[in-house]
Amino acid sequence: MQYSRPIGIALTVAFLFIVFGMPLSQGVLELARGERPHVLELFLHVPTKANLRQFERELDSAAWAIQRSRPWMQFVQFTVLGHAGRDTLYGRNGWFFFRPGVQYLVEPLPAPGQDTDPLAAILAFKAELDARGIVLVVVPAPGKPSIYPEQLTRRALDHTEPMNPHTLTLLTRLRDAGVDVVDLSALFYGSERPGLYLAQDSHWSPEGMDYAAETVARHLFERGLVKPGGTEYSERPAPVERLGDLIRMMQSPPVERLFAPERVDSRQVVEADSGTLYEDDPASEVLVLGDSFLRIYQLDEPGAAGFTAHLARRLGRPVASVINDGGASTLVRQELARNPELLANKRVVVWEFVERDIRFGTEGWQIVPLPPAS
Amino acid sequence: MVFTSHIFVFYFLPLVILAYYAVPWKRNLLLLFASYVFYGWWDPRFVVLMFLATLANYICGGIIARSRPGSGRRRAALVAAITISLGMLGFFKYFVFLQHNLNALVVWFGGTPFPVLQVILPIGISFFIFQSLSYSIDVYRGESPPVRSFADFACFVALFPQLIAGPIVRYNTIAGQLVEREHSLDKFACGTALFILGFAKKILLANAMGAVADPVFGAESRTCLDAWFGLCAYAFQIYFDFSGYSDMAIGLGRMFGFEFLRNFDSPYLADSITDFWRRWHISLSTFLRDYLYIPLGGNRKGPRRTYANLTIVMLLGGLWHGASWVFVIWGAYHGFLLAFERWRGKESLYARLPRQVRVAITFVLVLFSWVLFRSPTLAEAGAYFQSLFALTRADGGSVLLAGELYTRGNMALMALCALVAFQRVQAFDWVQRMSWPRLLLVLALFVFSLLTMFVQACNPFLYFQF
Repeated sequence: MQYSRPIGIALTVAFLFIVFGMPLSQGVLELARGERPHVLELFLHVPTKANLRQFERELDSAAWAIQRSRPWMQFVQFTVLGHAGRDTLYGRNGWFFFRPGVQYLVEPLPAPGQDTDPLAAILAFKAELDARGIVLVVVPAPGKPSIYPEQLTRRALDHTEPMNPHTLTLLTRLRDAGVDVVDLSALFYGSERPGLYLAQDSHWSPEGMDYAAETVARHLFERGLVKPGGTEYSERPAPVERLGDLIRMMQSPPVERLFAPERVDSRQVVEADSGTLYEDDPASEVLVLGDSFLRIYQLDEPGAAGFTAHLARRLGRPVASVINDGGASTLVRQELARNPELLANKRVVVWEFVERDIRFGTEGWQIVPLPPAS
Repeated sequence: MVFTSHIFVFYFLPLVILAYYAVPWKRNLLLLFASYVFYGWWDPRFVVLMFLATLANYICGGIIARSRPGSGRRRAALVAAITISLGMLGFFKYFVFLQHNLNALVVWFGGTPFPVLQVILPIGISFFIFQSLSYSIDVYRGESPPVRSFADFACFVALFPQLIAGPIVRYNTIAGQLVEREHSLDKFACGTALFILGFAKKILLANAMGAVADPVFGAESRTCLDAWFGLCAYAFQIYFDFSGYSDMAIGLGRMFGFEFLRNFDSPYLADSITDFWRRWHISLSTFLRDYLYIPLGGNRKGPRRTYANLTIVMLLGGLWHGASWVFVIWGAYHGFLLAFERWRGKESLYARLPRQVRVAITFVLVLFSWVLFRSPTLAEAGAYFQSLFALTRADGGSVLLAGELYTRGNMALMALCALVAFQRVQAFDWVQRMSWPRLLLVLALFVFSLLTMFVQACNPFLYFQF
């Protein structure tokens, strides 16, 4: 070892300054705020494995150094390396993709186990609805990378096969089992309509959403499941400018400032005679279950411009809905099981879930028994 | 606890340094306490297991030391130490594997498989069992005096810098340091620099390469190019992950006055497999040589026995890494290559080619072994080999892998990894001399690595599973 004394001292002091400085400054900051230093939480709980992990997570999230530096490090990683964070992939031409959506397409599906088998859960749900005389229509929403793979990688330009064979296999198995299915991915993938998804967002654009609503409505009419209703709706332009969820997932204001908000030409649905914004009707014959693909434009801005509103416009009648972000695989059915009155008077249940939930659905694919029909 | 975590760097380490240098007596006891906290942080229950392994070897080592050389009592104590240690290792590491294989046999004979009793694998068990066992063996061989106190011995077994993933420290290399060791500013500063470089290797290089390798190995299918890209990424990941851990361990050891032996010596510059094993995980290779290969007869019983011994040692070395057939085949592959080179007089088949070509061929041979090491099953390893040789095509969504892999960041980091990994001077050598520019570089790397750690998910070290 050849270290001059000044170098040895400088290195040691600098290292100790960093490793001691950070917790000390954190403690001082917390005391100055009148809070108990977070590190003391360690001594307030039994040191079990779970408690220790929880303590470590909370220590991380409370640290000022992490809170302050993280957005800037994310900015550096994005601008220098093109890394868009844990959940986001940066594709071509300013397009972003949700990483689990890509992962679903790239990786093999694990063998279905208890509570993770979509086929079993869907068939069980269908059986429950059959017993009540309700028809189930399953509508998997294709993920963005299935429809616009060339915006993620140039390699997909020469590729003609579908990107989502797992989804197509499930659809085939569902059809073979007698489940009524609407295959949006085949429709979207071959569509001439431009811009079915947003570049900065993981969800479909108003055009894509309306195309889905139109397709589902036509399917319901063609199958004779629903007759055209008597309510006349019209559309009203409601453009919004929004930063897509995929950019916001990076949780980095400096990165967000790099991008102009995306203009979204959504159209609100209003009752033609009164001009009032569309609202769900819990007593409707049609119940729609789904995830954030139903939430977008409907429950967030501009409101009344999402899938359910446009489905209602196409059907000429309001619909009822149960929407849970990321929870279309199991959580929406659990909510239905807690509120079985939502099934009263229903003839059709339209069940939308994004295709990646076939693998990554929150709480898996549990079989959720419904209370007996009264 | 993980070295590359907020809790370790900013709370555990400063507290232990403060206590260690503030109280100049009972330092081993303090390190023992700190090490148990460090280990128990993962799951407090397994501290008991480590304590029992320590106690068993301490008692057996004591009996051995008090018995006459060659006496039955001495031999019985050694057998007891080996049985207890390997029994623990066998149960926690191999019992589930054994049950699965028995079940496969039962099914093969038309029977009904029995329910498998699940056992949680305590992290680092292979390391602390080997270390504690080395004490009993060293004392039995007369290579080390018996330890002066239980606290010293328990400190040696549990010593947190190298507890979880090595380097494997043998008792006879550290016995003297447990009694008396040098503390100096030079040593502390050098340890600091090595810790920082190891930290940076893990955070900036290994984790980045893991983010490339994981999707490739996880893909349903992949192109030939993707397969090679992912495999190179894994080769860099495992090297920087493991050597980074070793650097941190050796660096931390120096901060507390210990000198651990070097564990890596530019392994990807090896020009034969024999050379590779002189440079990769040196503490394991020497452990296996001294405690397994030589007792089996080494090269003293003729060429055939030598080849068999090499293969057995590598097979068991493979199994030491994990209870799975992929590790057994991985060990057999290396054992075969080592035996083959031994047969040729410790020369590879390509020994007469220029050095750069020899290094490249050896690297490719090692890459093939990493396919086995990384794949969860033999079937998946087979599929990966098919991709490497373009015997399959990327189907369905696997085409999208390209979008994840060939980003400018990944390409730049891959080039950086290659540049660093193929250097003759590695972190261990680099920190021996320190200048002001180097000092500034080290500190900048530390700050940048910490900031990067803040945006990374928790990434435990690969060798934790062993």
